[in-house]
Amino acid sequence: MNALVDPLSYREQSPDVRARFQALKERPVVLSVENLYKTFPTPGGPVTALKDLSFQVFRREFMCVIGPSGCGKSTLIRILAGLEDASDGQVLLDGKPVSGPGPDRGMVFQSYTLFPWLTVKQNVMFGPRMAGQGAAAEPEARQWIDLVGLSRFENSYPHQLSGGMKQRVAIARALANRPRILLMDEPFGALDAQTRSQMQSYLLQIWKNLDITILFITHDLDEAAFLADRILVLKANPGEVNEIIEVPVPRPRTPAQFVSPEFIATKYRIDHLIHPEAAHEMDSIPFPRMTVAGDDVE
Amino acid sequence: MKTDPIREKRLREPWFAARRELSPRRASFLTIFSFALPLLIWSAVSYLPFLWHPDVELQISADRENVTTVYVAGDRVSREFFPEFQEAVRQQNKPLEAGLASLDPAAEATNGAAVRRANKKTLRQLVPILAANQWITEEQAKDDAAIYTSWGEIAAGKKVPTRPQLSEENLAIIAKNWAAMSKVSPTYDSDRFVSVPLLGLVPQGRPANPDYLPAPHEVVVSGIKEFTAPPEAERPSMWQRVGHSIRIVFGGFLLATLVGVPIGVLCGTYPVFSKVVEPFTDFFRYLPAPTFSTLLVAIFLANDAPKVALVFVGTIFQLVLVVANTTRRLDLPLLEAAQTLGANQAQLLTRVVIPGILPNLYDDLRILLGWAWTWLVIAELVGVKSGLTEFIETQGRWRNFDSVYPVIILIGLIGFFTDQILSALSRIFFPWTSEASGKANPLAKAILFLPRWFQKSASVHDLPADASGQARESLTNRP
Repeated sequence: MNALVDPLSYREQSPDVRARFQALKERPVVLSVENLYKTFPTPGGPVTALKDLSFQVFRREFMCVIGPSGCGKSTLIRILAGLEDASDGQVLLDGKPVSGPGPDRGMVFQSYTLFPWLTVKQNVMFGPRMAGQGAAAEPEARQWIDLVGLSRFENSYPHQLSGGMKQRVAIARALANRPRILLMDEPFGALDAQTRSQMQSYLLQIWKNLDITILFITHDLDEAAFLADRILVLKANPGEVNEIIEVPVPRPRTPAQFVSPEFIATKYRIDHLIHPEAAHEMDSIPFPRMTVAGDDVE
Repeated sequence: MKTDPIREKRLREPWFAARRELSPRRASFLTIFSFALPLLIWSAVSYLPFLWHPDVELQISADRENVTTVYVAGDRVSREFFPEFQEAVRQQNKPLEAGLASLDPAAEATNGAAVRRANKKTLRQLVPILAANQWITEEQAKDDAAIYTSWGEIAAGKKVPTRPQLSEENLAIIAKNWAAMSKVSPTYDSDRFVSVPLLGLVPQGRPANPDYLPAPHEVVVSGIKEFTAPPEAERPSMWQRVGHSIRIVFGGFLLATLVGVPIGVLCGTYPVFSKVVEPFTDFFRYLPAPTFSTLLVAIFLANDAPKVALVFVGTIFQLVLVVANTTRRLDLPLLEAAQTLGANQAQLLTRVVIPGILPNLYDDLRILLGWAWTWLVIAELVGVKSGLTEFIETQGRWRNFDSVYPVIILIGLIGFFTDQILSALSRIFFPWTSEASGKANPLAKAILFLPRWFQKSASVHDLPADASGQARESLTNRP
């Protein structure tokens, strides 16, 4: 990234972009995080993982959370899912405080969490079954499987699927519960680069066609800038809100936009936030010269 | 000669390459070899007389007053002692020769009755040889008239023992003895029998292994005999014994499973149970189960109950801990995912934990069933001895080791094939595990492979490729 693009130019939002985000923020709040703290006891005294975190996610918004490693991204999403308790502060879903895990918040994990003993269809029907629906859930499960393009595999077992297919089933399984918000914890982190970009496009299509709000954790700048309406950038040690970036890249998003000035400016801004200039200095490793002078490639 | 390039390439593949899969052909060959090798070693040691054979098996009974122990044909003496033994008999014969040569059939020798008795024993020394050459039947072993006739026939050279042959030395002794015997009476007459001492036959023998290592054919013969013998009073047939032993093993094991699996699953799922149950179980499993045998007899009295209880005690504590560990090894994210999908605590246990651990639980139980078999031997000695162990004990005490081996091998085979069958069944029970679609059982493969292996024409390159691997490939390639 160089100075060809003014790194701050994206802030001067064009009127239509400003109008878009104005409209977004007028929608009902689905998820509201208020003064969230999380401390872990360690032998060396308590460590604060999350500090005074507050933000809101609006209906049908696609929000990405990004931050340097160790900023507590995963802790945050686990608290939102109810898998861990916050030390202080609260999480409101549709204005009601959240406690414990529940089907109103669907979650897609980074590791493959399909139940290996259930077929694709049975996996998708797991949530409705837990809620007491029996065979009645089957036609709807089929629809969800169609939605992620795996109808040919509805009777396959997870071990017969590729990594990308497994995560598509995991998305269908979470959606089958009709959650208010879909929490995604680096769901494509374990996939190879090609499958990952394919999955990103899939996800955007699904999101476009459903009334679903998504909170998506990632460490990949491209992924965040490509998917998100807004990007929540966290600071590390302790994790606090650094900035909420409003991505000016217009929708529908296509891979061609990777070279658009708005996209590059967004990425530059994230990089600048999570990887400040000072850190770049530290990146240059003192290394003895092992090439002949005059043989430089740069 | 036609050369097949693929075959050539296969042949050039190294046998020793770290962590590199062998070709299916070689893998199957080696599987068969792993069973053939011990059999070959056993056969070699048994049938090649120059390998080991530290003993001599006697072919002629040696029953002499100055030899402290009485040996009968079939007994084994050490190779070092054997020449000494022969020499002792020769020394004993020397002073007798003169008296035998100068026998006066009419005169009655002093203490003739005692000498006659001793001479009748000498007469019967030939019985094993006669029986082995099938000149007399087993019932005739005490038929002195028939034996007497045979002495004459051998001395006259009318009959020549072939298996085993008699040494020149013994043939000479037979001739000398017969000369004296025939002088008194040409046919057997218990009242008219030589009254001077006859020469004793010099021990003859063949190299042999100790009785605790019978040859394979002896084991097979005894095995067939024991397993086809009908049941007698107080002596159940071998298959009844097998059935009895299996009942004890499976009885104890099933009880342990019924009690232990639920406890183990609860311990692995809920730390509350784990902390209450596991520390004590951990202590208790170090108490050796056999030390409870007298206690178990006191509680459950005789018969099978204490035996089943011993297998139960020996298995349950390990089982609880192993099952608890297996349960804990279940991927935690699966439980978390289920919770985010709305599963409550009861559903977590019944819909996630139990189905999730089943394949591993099944494997654990397979291994623990092997443990149960090891407890069997001790269990059957508890209280009234019974089953296969009672047979092994008794036969071992009589040194009938050729009957002991078939039983030991049978126990091994039962365990081995139970395990192979259970392992094959697991593919049917748990189609969702990756093993189920993976490689076939190497032993089953080897057995199926055996006939092909002998077909020289079987060419290397048309071996079936891993079909499931291909299927997987085609799935992943789909966009």
